[in-house]
Amino acid sequence: MGQHRKGVGIRRDGQLWILCRQRISSNSDLTDHLARIKVTSAKGSDRYGPKIAEDEVHTRRSAILAGAAFCAAPMVRAQGAAPFRFALTPVFLDNDAAVIAALRTALGEAMGREIELVQRRTYQEITGALLDGSVDAAWTCGYPYLQHRDQLSLLGVPVWRGAPLYQSYLIVAAGDAATSLADLQGGAHAFSDPDSNSGYLVTASDLARIGATPDGFFSRSIFTYGHRNVVRAVAGGLTRSGSVDGYVWEVLNSVEPGLTARTRVISRSEDLGFPPFVARSDRIEEVGITACMAALQGLGKADRGQEVLRLLFLDAVVPADPALFNGIATRMAELSGG
Amino acid sequence: MTAVPRFRNLPVTVRVPLITAALMIILALVASQSVLGALGRVQDARLSETARLHVEGLAVALGPSVLRQDVWEVYDILDRARQASDGQRLLLTVVADERGHVLAATDPRRAPVGEDAAEFGLGAVAPEAVRMTGDPVLRVASPLLYQGRTIGGIVTELDVTDLLAERRQVTLWLLFGNALATVLLAFGGWLAVARILRPVGALVQAMDSSGGAPRPIPQAAIPHGDPGLARLIVTYNQMTTAVEERAEAERRLADRERFVSLGRLSSALAHEVNNPLGGLLNAADTIRTYADRPDVVRQSAELMQRGLAHLRDVTRAMLDQNRLDRAGQPLRPEDFEDLRLLFEPEAHSRNIALAWEVQAGATVLASQPAAPVRQVALNLLLNAGAAAGQNGQVGLKVSNGGDQLSIVVSNTGSAMSEADLRRLLASGPLPPGGGVGLRLVHDIVSGLGGTLHHDRAEGRTVIRVDLPAMGSGHA
Repeated sequence: MGQHRKGVGIRRDGQLWILCRQRISSNSDLTDHLARIKVTSAKGSDRYGPKIAEDEVHTRRSAILAGAAFCAAPMVRAQGAAPFRFALTPVFLDNDAAVIAALRTALGEAMGREIELVQRRTYQEITGALLDGSVDAAWTCGYPYLQHRDQLSLLGVPVWRGAPLYQSYLIVAAGDAATSLADLQGGAHAFSDPDSNSGYLVTASDLARIGATPDGFFSRSIFTYGHRNVVRAVAGGLTRSGSVDGYVWEVLNSVEPGLTARTRVISRSEDLGFPPFVARSDRIEEVGITACMAALQGLGKADRGQEVLRLLFLDAVVPADPALFNGIATRMAELSGG
Repeated sequence: MTAVPRFRNLPVTVRVPLITAALMIILALVASQSVLGALGRVQDARLSETARLHVEGLAVALGPSVLRQDVWEVYDILDRARQASDGQRLLLTVVADERGHVLAATDPRRAPVGEDAAEFGLGAVAPEAVRMTGDPVLRVASPLLYQGRTIGGIVTELDVTDLLAERRQVTLWLLFGNALATVLLAFGGWLAVARILRPVGALVQAMDSSGGAPRPIPQAAIPHGDPGLARLIVTYNQMTTAVEERAEAERRLADRERFVSLGRLSSALAHEVNNPLGGLLNAADTIRTYADRPDVVRQSAELMQRGLAHLRDVTRAMLDQNRLDRAGQPLRPEDFEDLRLLFEPEAHSRNIALAWEVQAGATVLASQPAAPVRQVALNLLLNAGAAAGQNGQVGLKVSNGGDQLSIVVSNTGSAMSEADLRRLLASGPLPPGGGVGLRLVHDIVSGLGGTLHHDRAEGRTVIRVDLPAMGSGHA
């Protein structure tokens, strides 16, 4: 086997650089192979002070990320091909670098090419990047998928607790006496993203049913651009209530019980289609895209894929039927109709 | 005497350590103040630096979010900064917008979004001006500058409980340490001073405990390391020797006085012995001449017997007066008869009229020792006789009032001189010259616990000696 020399560094802008030298065995010559993996923070370094950006990098999860990256490095082939760009949104599991690294590794291994995971702050940015071709595929939400149903195709949908379904939760602080949406009138409310189904559409459409709008019903509504942030906003008392992804809340309840314990779920929506993996319809036939689809749907078969699914608390990724998102479409209609 | 002796009355062995302790306490206070002052400055600098870095760091991070009025972003930054900050120094940070309304705070329940932020700015100071005031919570306020203009403000509550506790801890340790050091040094000072002043203490003790007879300090106790003190003690020892020698001389003089008084009587007594001797010799001659006449012999023998008896009485009185082994014998009426026998020749020689009156009963007399009382009475009689002169009058009256024995000796003639009165009545040093008889009277009467009274009226000098009854041992 080859001999490895590795290095890791943090650039001033907060980007993490990993250097891996692999000496490829051969009888006559030794070729130093340099693999460079760039992790682009979804939160641009201009948005936080340098100290905070560094703090982000210096998390336990970063260490895991670095470790995972080392393992991945020998797999990378220096073929000169552009990396496959896969977009994620922090709306899911904000900051969970271990999950992100594992996902990249698993996809890279399954697809046999370098994966660049792109994180953006909002669904809108992700959708825009997907549509303009700056990313090849994305894990997004059912709501943006439906908004661009004519241009986007489904690559697969995760199965959680036995079904490709999830709910939107309405949460309040643990000590709050509210029992329903109606009790929350006049208080501040935290949404995750204006293009999130569970983090906005469900509550907004519920309000539309009673002829109200978020701005009118709540004293103040803020977007936190992260389901975990919604939980933090409610737990910390910034807002009285929040609309959160039920899957995210349940996962947080397992990994950060101290945070969710400060909140209480007061209502759950009906089952809705789980956030799907999507790509542009006109590129669905491309080798990269089909490989990506196969890799996603085969996650449960590979060891690293299983690791990703375990970290995400998911069972599998299965082929998706657009009809799965009919519930979301109904709510969209209610919101626009209202 | 007051219950608490005044400082200047305290012994030097106590005063010097007290002064040492007082100086130590002052030193400790000054040192403690200096340490606390330095600690305070360090803490203030630390606090100011913490506040400044916190506010400056936040200002950089918060600028764009505050400009956009992005409540979540501001909260998110504050929340992360709070979690990243060490310990719990930063209690609350409130970010206000341009209008002074709360945009977000680390604890939104305390500072709800949209509330007036003014109340959080009460008592707040600029980060570089923050100082420990004793308040566990300090407020720091700073305008939020972004791209050269003020877009809001930051107020931070700093928890300085730990710094206060540190200061309290240091104060306590200083107090404890200084108290301990002061006690140790004061004790050491006391030991050192006590050691240095031990000879002085010994000197004072030697002077105090001797009851009037100064006792010399042994050669071994003289601190030869301290020339001044050594000289002082050597001088003292010389002084005590001189006093002792003087006391010894006085004692010898007093002993001699008894013989002196007899000496003064000797001529009169010789006359007293000589007078019967002529008669006795005559009687002896008559007996020899008329040996065959029994009636004459018997008459002469009786005459001789009377003369010899008189001689025997006189010599016995003289012997009794001088016998040292009579010390402790009780006084008897016969003692006054002896005195009369001794004094009468002196009185006769000067033709002094003697009024002799012994009224006191034998029981009261027996409560007094014979020798000293006889010495007192004889000395006073001799003195009275001398003062009365030719054809004068001398009286002796011995009486008792209850248990008390009074001996009154009176005489006509000139009054007692001032010097004699001082000898008799006072116990001060004797002026040079003069006899010691009167002083001996004074000393003996004092020794017996009695008192002397002098009176001069109608040309008579009256000396009264009052002697209280002694214990049963003399009875």
